[in-house]
Amino acid sequence: MEPPQVPEPIIRLTDVRLNLESRAGVVEILKGISLEVPRGQSVAIVGPSGSGKTSLLMILAGLERATSGDVHVAGRDFNALDEDQMALARGEDIGIVFQSFHLIPTMTALENVALPLEFAGAGDARERARTLLSDVSLAPRLDHFPAQLSGGEQQRVALARALAPQPKLLLADEPTGNLDGRTGRQVVDLLFGMKRKSGATLVLVTHDERLARECERTIRMADGQIVADEQAVVAA
Amino acid sequence: MTATDLATTAPVARTGLRLPRLFGIALRELRAGLNGFYIFMACVALGVAVIATVSTLSDALRAGFERQGEMILGGDVTFSRMHARATDAERNWFQARGRVSETATMRTMARTLDGNEQALIEIKGVDAAYPLAGTVDVEGMPFADAMTSDGGVVVTPVLLNQLGVKVGDKIRIGDAEATIRATLINEPDAVADRLTYGPRVFASLATLDKTGLVQPGTLIRWRYALKLPPEVGAGRDDLAAFRTTAKSQLETSGFIIADRRDPSPQVTRTLDRLRQFLTFLGLAALLVGGVGIASAVATFIDRRRNVIATMKTVGATSRTVLLIFLIQVLAISLIGVVVGLAIGLSAPRFLIAFYGDALPIKAELAYSLGSIVTSATYGLLVALLFTLWPLGRAELIKPSVLFRDEIAPERVWPRRGIIALTAVIAAALLGFVLMMAESMRIALYFCGALILVFLVFTALGSVVTWGARRIARPKWPELALAIGNIGAPGGLTRSVVVSLGAGLSLLVAVALADASLVQELTGRLPQKAPSYFLLDVPKNEADDLAKIVEREAPGTHLVNAPMLRGRLVELKGRKAEEFKPPPEAQWVLNGDRGLTYSDTLPEGSTLVEGDWWPADYSGEPLVSFERDLAHHLGLKIGDQVTVNVLGRNLTARIANLREVKWESLTLNFVLVFSSNALKSAPHKLLATVSLPEGTSLDTEARIGRAVGKAFPSVTVIRVKDALNAATEILTKVMVAVRVAGAVTLIAGALVLAGALATAQRRRILEAVVLKVLGATRRRILMTHFIEYTLLATVAALFAAVLGALAAWVGVTEVMKIPFTFSVEAVLRALALAIGLVLLFGSLGTWAALRAKPAATLRSE
Repeated sequence: MEPPQVPEPIIRLTDVRLNLESRAGVVEILKGISLEVPRGQSVAIVGPSGSGKTSLLMILAGLERATSGDVHVAGRDFNALDEDQMALARGEDIGIVFQSFHLIPTMTALENVALPLEFAGAGDARERARTLLSDVSLAPRLDHFPAQLSGGEQQRVALARALAPQPKLLLADEPTGNLDGRTGRQVVDLLFGMKRKSGATLVLVTHDERLARECERTIRMADGQIVADEQAVVAA
Repeated sequence: MTATDLATTAPVARTGLRLPRLFGIALRELRAGLNGFYIFMACVALGVAVIATVSTLSDALRAGFERQGEMILGGDVTFSRMHARATDAERNWFQARGRVSETATMRTMARTLDGNEQALIEIKGVDAAYPLAGTVDVEGMPFADAMTSDGGVVVTPVLLNQLGVKVGDKIRIGDAEATIRATLINEPDAVADRLTYGPRVFASLATLDKTGLVQPGTLIRWRYALKLPPEVGAGRDDLAAFRTTAKSQLETSGFIIADRRDPSPQVTRTLDRLRQFLTFLGLAALLVGGVGIASAVATFIDRRRNVIATMKTVGATSRTVLLIFLIQVLAISLIGVVVGLAIGLSAPRFLIAFYGDALPIKAELAYSLGSIVTSATYGLLVALLFTLWPLGRAELIKPSVLFRDEIAPERVWPRRGIIALTAVIAAALLGFVLMMAESMRIALYFCGALILVFLVFTALGSVVTWGARRIARPKWPELALAIGNIGAPGGLTRSVVVSLGAGLSLLVAVALADASLVQELTGRLPQKAPSYFLLDVPKNEADDLAKIVEREAPGTHLVNAPMLRGRLVELKGRKAEEFKPPPEAQWVLNGDRGLTYSDTLPEGSTLVEGDWWPADYSGEPLVSFERDLAHHLGLKIGDQVTVNVLGRNLTARIANLREVKWESLTLNFVLVFSSNALKSAPHKLLATVSLPEGTSLDTEARIGRAVGKAFPSVTVIRVKDALNAATEILTKVMVAVRVAGAVTLIAGALVLAGALATAQRRRILEAVVLKVLGATRRRILMTHFIEYTLLATVAALFAAVLGALAAWVGVTEVMKIPFTFSVEAVLRALALAIGLVLLFGSLGTWAALRAKPAATLRSE
């Protein structure tokens, strides 16, 4: 009997290094990161400022190219992709939620959510966007522009936009960093709720230990390296 | 929160991004408004408006010209010839083909009966059938009655003033006394019989005969207008066929044939040339505006960095980003084009309403698709040329900027594909300019000059920035700050230098070309040019004329030469029509030219190739040709040329080439024949009279009168009057050219205003910081003043050099006249530059000075 097939992890990093040029010379940002994340897991990356967590997230999103090492995300070898192929990969498989939302100010909530679907050429982009916005309780706010929405509402729009193309991987950079405690809580509930429903993998960067504890796994970083990889006692 | 049903949502069907959806995204993204794009649109609109105005106006004149062709020409087809009246056979040929009208025009003198007042006139003898088309409007007596009355003439009112006579008075023309019966209001075929020097006088052919002026060899143009029966002359093709038949059947007659489709090829050519020149100026304005377009797009893209990065994080490829912003830029360009077209298509209506009467032909407003498409194409090509580069940078914006603030935008080169596309568009623009150009050579000069101007000023902008960064900071803080601003990254230096420099270069070039032309016509000439030209001097009276002149003004230099008029009909055995010389040589083949013969090399000419014939030469007819024209026509020594003189063909071999100083206004001819070739043909002499320096106006007038009394058939043309007439025409043309040239400067000013507006925020913050550090408003004002003055001075000085260079090439290579440098023109440009920069700059400075530090710092 053949052994049962182990599913390919959604993230597999092997000895990933990132050096950036600066006026003072080359700065080592990531110093040999190796990491595997199975599909469907929720992972928190924590660490002090400058520890390299956001850079790691950018590498996972294909927004930054590793100086060396292998980066495999959602079945793709990122080293083999050019910039546009990475953009297409994001459009298909990776949703990103930012600390400062990054909604397009000239587009309504509905249009912001529909945008990735439109880039993918989905014929029913608007209908899907409408459903998603109503899922995040923003049905009455469809035609509002970002400036007309509160911070929490903007982050919910951003969340709906990140999930619109049904990504396999959801990346979040300090998703509650710009929100007050109560609103942040609502967004976190929503984030995890939608993650569960969609079955996507969630990687979030945070300073917030409480938020990190809600994830199944916490990776601690310092000075460009992983210093601890903790599995939660109770799965989220 | 409600439970989501995302997991059950059907998978996303990915079909790729279609164009309509791209349009939707692009337009949505434009909702932020057109702020920052107004300068862009104004730059496109301005250039397109100039080109469209020029094209529409020229179309209107062209349409009027064609529609009124029959009236302008005085019939369907005309045949004209110098010296020789139609023979009986030729007259029969005309009469067999339609209604004919015969007219004769010549220059001569009209005098009061006592001979004390005289004026140069252009007399036109007409038969009873004249005019075949249109009407002659007169005041005093019906035209036909005036013509049939004995010795009756109709004159232009200005002649009444010149001679101090009134309707009903008698005047002397040649040997005849004529009675003024009426004054002329409108002559239908005035354009075809161009007036150059004197007022028109109409007389019947019988009256003209009585003047005794119509002698063999007199400079008189006979013109036969033909009204064809409808079945022959109705269609344009019929006319062309008729012309071909006429040409072959009257081949050796020497007639110049014109038909109503293009009643005056010369006027048409002048219109075409003016259209091209003014279109060039519009294009120059567009290109200068291009700098503003590029900087508007760069600023826009800079403000959209986060949006672009966000789009890329949610799956947009570089190509998608490029297309979205290209659609936006094209939409904005289109608005500019539409506004420009609207102005360009309506401006001619006002111009015609206000100035239409000043034109020799009635303009008929006609909108041609060609003109609209041409103007729009120029606008869009220039907009694309200047936007692709910044758009190419937009597509390279990395999504990582969302996570990491970049201190200064990277100066990256666009993709190779974008660079290639920019080059293709530049080539397409160049190709389009050349395709539309009447003269390829002039178009190439123009494009070369523009490219040079742009390269020089772009380089200058970089050099000034570079220099300002490296120069040791002076102790005077205002100067140190100003130099710091000039060298600052993202500063104004490049845009100011390029926009101002390019506009000013053109203005300096136009001003210097103008100065050279005016100097050529008014300043330089009178010292060496003759004072008078005497036309139609009888051969046997030349000695008497010399005696009279010597008696009245001793020391006068009198030169005369035989003068006939004839037309080049064959060169090297090929018909003249088959030659396509460059535009600057075309005139030699267009109509009849003055011809002379001589035993010796004429004064004012230099022999450059070949030998002059001996004084007693009696072999085959020889001719001396002007060197430059011979080269343009591909003629060399030994080639044969045929001219039609007095209705007969005369073939001669080129014996030598001469260099001629045309501007000397001495007796110069393109063709000088050996005496044996023309001596026996009936002809008269053309003489120049150069009075000794310091001759009083009274003496001048006395000589004029004495010559007039002694030789009634001789026409006296005062060179100064002729030059004044030419200067007057030139002044009018130069006004149009200056207005069009100023448009380029307006484009420059727009770009400047745009650049200053972009820098406004930085300026205000800088002023606030300076205030916080204790700077007074006076000090800030002084800093700005120094910065702007330095930039404007550098731009203006380079513009003066480049403009002078362009004017020098244009004046010496295209116009072939000596170049005159005018310090005044350069100083004016300098003052204008500093004035403009200070004007626009002070608006920004005002806002910067008023800014309250606390409020500004809080909002940062």
